[in-house]
Amino acid sequence: MAALTQTVAGSEAPPGVPWIACRSVSSGYLGTEVLKDISFEITAPSVYVVLGPNGAGKTTLFRTLAGILSPSRGKVIIGGTPGDHQTARDRLHYLSHLDGLPEGFTVREALAFYARAELATRVDIERVLDKLQIRDLSGSYLGQLSAGQKKRVSIARIFLRERDIYLLDEPTANLDPKVAKEIRSLILELSRDKVVLYSSHNLYEAREIGRYVIVIKEGRLAVFDRIENLRASKFRLGVRLLNPSDSLEGWAKEGEYFVRELAGPEEVQSVLHDLDVRGVRLREAREMDNPLQDIFE
Amino acid sequence: MNRKTAGRVDEPASKAGGRSYLGPTIRRSLRSGRMVLVVGTAWSVILGVLIAVGSGSGFASSFPLILPIFGAIAAIGALTVFTSDRMKGVLEYLMAYGISPRRLFTNFIVAALVSISIVLVIAVVASVGVYVARGNRLSTSLLLLLGVYAIPMSYVSGAFATTVGMYWSALSSPREGMNSPLGIAPFLGILPPVAVLVLIGVFGATVGFSTNGFLLVTGAALSVVALTVLYLLGNIGHLLRRERLLSNA
Repeated sequence: MAALTQTVAGSEAPPGVPWIACRSVSSGYLGTEVLKDISFEITAPSVYVVLGPNGAGKTTLFRTLAGILSPSRGKVIIGGTPGDHQTARDRLHYLSHLDGLPEGFTVREALAFYARAELATRVDIERVLDKLQIRDLSGSYLGQLSAGQKKRVSIARIFLRERDIYLLDEPTANLDPKVAKEIRSLILELSRDKVVLYSSHNLYEAREIGRYVIVIKEGRLAVFDRIENLRASKFRLGVRLLNPSDSLEGWAKEGEYFVRELAGPEEVQSVLHDLDVRGVRLREAREMDNPLQDIFE
Repeated sequence: MNRKTAGRVDEPASKAGGRSYLGPTIRRSLRSGRMVLVVGTAWSVILGVLIAVGSGSGFASSFPLILPIFGAIAAIGALTVFTSDRMKGVLEYLMAYGISPRRLFTNFIVAALVSISIVLVIAVVASVGVYVARGNRLSTSLLLLLGVYAIPMSYVSGAFATTVGMYWSALSSPREGMNSPLGIAPFLGILPPVAVLVLIGVFGATVGFSTNGFLLVTGAALSVVALTVLYLLGNIGHLLRRERLLSNA
């Protein structure tokens, strides 16, 4: 299969220098290729959601971009510098799906441990304790924390110092919905002038946070596009009626929703208008399927 | 934001100075292995003092022989931290920061040597102090055994146990109990001194033993073990793939 070489250009792309360039990259573990001939360029700051089924190669992609794994073929270029150079690594923040927190430390000590690599100061540590709302945990030993609390500490690490590129492998896994939302807000804030690669299994989260989607399937780049350009193979509109005991002729019932398949989202306006004309009182109308769902099928 | 106004990505400041992680590795190894350190040091002091009090002149020939065993066991703290860091993904982060596997291994070996130094200094000062305080003289044979055998053998055995233990840990799936690198480390550590003692015993029983013979056997053993450690460390790039240091590789 030929490599897909795709570039998504944005308004703030550094002229001539992609933030990240993957050129025919193959990579994997102990001689087994997981990523196969991946090529793409990122030239604009934004959130790029990396999606793919389990084992597709998302984590391998992050590890290869972060310089942890060396490509068996091809090149990774970060800001014009080969990915294995220290200057390239200094532009990246990498958040693994593992917490990576040193055993036996308190939260504050763990942040100080990583602050050393970041050349961050005590002031920076205090700032991230507040930013991630973990000040009350700062004296607690990591072994006493829940998985979600550990994840917040791990995320705090990437806010110690600013970098150009953030590689975030499932940053909201294990977090409760409220904290996950706060983390997404922080990440969206970052993406104004940074490149954020963000992997997730949550399609609704991906749609909420991402402007671009990178889909990896069986180790190959399957899609690299703006999320709004992705369309589901079918568009199903669901409506919930104000009076649950009412029915809607010609619509299928799915739980609390009456559902109808349309040719596309452009039909929604007229369908809702027809319902209004018929005097149907609606509580809610929504697209029933996530277009990103097709990626996994 | 590391960008110039023209929009090109700027060079970030060098961070090489903050990157060795040797200091934190030593502190964490001492903290993690503190119980082993305390117990190892206490046993070596108790045995040393008992020998000094009980056997008098026999101290010179017996105390230096047991010292490397306790010294090598002190390396367990560093190995504990290495194994934990690999499983928890800390090594993955440190590699992402640009710290090489060789640098990581070297840090843990140095941390092990620092731990060994603590045991050696306390044990030698306390035991030899009691020995001298009881009116014994520091004989040449005692100084020879301590300076040529016990102290260097402790360091070399500890470095050997740490290096082989880290390779073992990296090359194997996470294991617990006696099959883990931590379970095997004490046996690896006491292997070189025991081998030397066996060789000395065999030579002594068959052809008789001289100071030169002792120096030859000890020197050869130290060289072989030290060269093994240096070979494993120097060729880590060829012998150990980076993905072996990841938690799920």
